[in-house]
Amino acid sequence: MKMKGRVINGGEVTGEAFVLDIPFSFIGDFDPRTGKLEVKGHPLYGQSIAHKVLICPTGKGGTIAPFIAYDALKAGNAPAAILCAKADPILCESALVIGIPILDGFDKNSLQSIKTGQTVSVSGNEIAIS
Amino acid sequence: MFLDKEEKAMAAGEYGQGIQKCMDYLIKFGEAFGAEKMVKISSAHTMPKEPVELLREMTEGAAGTGAFTTLHAAMSAFSARNWKAMGLPETFASTELDLYNQRRDIYTKLGFIQTYTCLPMLVGNIPNKGDYISWIGSGAQLLANSLFGARCNRDGTVINLAAAITGRAPLHGLFLDENRHAQVLVTFKGLDFGKLTHADLGAIGYYVGAKAQNRNVVMDGIPVRLDIDQIKYMMAPLAVSGAVSICHVVGLTPEAPSLEAALGNREPEEVITVGRKEMKESMDQYAWNGEDVDMAVFGCPHLSISEIKVMAELLREKKLKNNKRLWAGMPFQHYFLAEEMGLAKIIEDAGGVFASACMATIPDSPIPDGVKVIATNSFKAAHYITRFSKGRVKVVIGDMDKCVDAVTANHRKGGNS
Repeated sequence: MKMKGRVINGGEVTGEAFVLDIPFSFIGDFDPRTGKLEVKGHPLYGQSIAHKVLICPTGKGGTIAPFIAYDALKAGNAPAAILCAKADPILCESALVIGIPILDGFDKNSLQSIKTGQTVSVSGNEIAIS
Repeated sequence: MFLDKEEKAMAAGEYGQGIQKCMDYLIKFGEAFGAEKMVKISSAHTMPKEPVELLREMTEGAAGTGAFTTLHAAMSAFSARNWKAMGLPETFASTELDLYNQRRDIYTKLGFIQTYTCLPMLVGNIPNKGDYISWIGSGAQLLANSLFGARCNRDGTVINLAAAITGRAPLHGLFLDENRHAQVLVTFKGLDFGKLTHADLGAIGYYVGAKAQNRNVVMDGIPVRLDIDQIKYMMAPLAVSGAVSICHVVGLTPEAPSLEAALGNREPEEVITVGRKEMKESMDQYAWNGEDVDMAVFGCPHLSISEIKVMAELLREKKLKNNKRLWAGMPFQHYFLAEEMGLAKIIEDAGGVFASACMATIPDSPIPDGVKVIATNSFKAAHYITRFSKGRVKVVIGDMDKCVDAVTANHRKGGNS
């Protein structure tokens, strides 16, 4: 399966999908020291986002989140790319400061049809899922 | 995105790698949010909590900041000058001090104005109406937009730092006239504004913020002219229970000469009426039902010199009771003013501690053992301390005099306490 999005920060990466059904922030939802999701009660709680292709509807608040994303990068726990329906400013700058691809403009339902663990390749404005 | 000659040179690396990196972030960010060009900012206010390596990367080769740039209070109770008196453990403070000193070298070299306050307008960062600025801190952003009519987006810490270093920001969001009008109209019933305390005003803001969420607000029908402290306590909670970026007050703030002007000649999406019942909804969340208080916390947002004067009067011939604490957050510049005026001595003799730190995020540092209940006159502090301490600390709301009474006893000079 292939999909097209809008490139905010470009790049070519391939990684395992980590699909969230909720807006994501690097602060509060995530531990940069371990790379794990910290959303209590979420089915993916405690699973690592490190080196994965993070898929989420959008981002949310927490203006200091880009610094936390940078800490995660230095600890080797940053995601490989972010794909979302609509990027919010904070998620966007978090991806920019750690130099990973971020694409938005995908259909929300199509994005959610990707399953955690599938392989996603990002190239230009196109993603391929297998 | 259109770039002028100088911006192109920045993007091409002619001013060094740091500025090139900053400009790259700003261009990609601006294009993502539909900005047609960059604008020059008149000032910046940044968060002194950068990973040191990132601060080095983003400033590499830069001779100075690109705009007049002040520094926010670092998130957490850490105050480089006063952590000992606050009772913070040495292990925590020594790590923080090391980072503080590393950052300070860079700030000094590049001419950052080292204010360490959440309200830079109190210490000389005063924007004009219509100025484009990039400030961090939801309270400062809200006041800059509302009270000064300056134009400030809710930037995150990296875009904000990039704007400070380059002196540029993408033209989008609240920089544009059409995004500055109010969608939510707030009216009042049965309130005697002349008698409302700071805590009462906070209760209004806390109620309205939760309803307005991220929409712009206009308040109409306030019959008295509020002073800057009253405005601060009323507006700060709007960005706490909600994410409001502008709150016009008809007849008072510069973009609200009339209700029609503040609304941009449109009908409001929603009208909220606030009276005693609505204020009680806020108060009930931090109700003070006679709990014994371990610590009083003031200065969220940071105290003005007028409030310090009032606090000193309340603490004259008083002393903290055993094991009780009083922390007062303020820009340290105000400490020197208070010292000159003899106010600092009164407060310190009573046992109060001044901190150039963020009182809302004190649970990010080890709060002294034994502090189980905190009293404050600030809804912002109450909200964040409750959440960041994950329930370890209970926070109750009361006016400054009541909070002071709860932690002090009378103490005449020369007598026994």
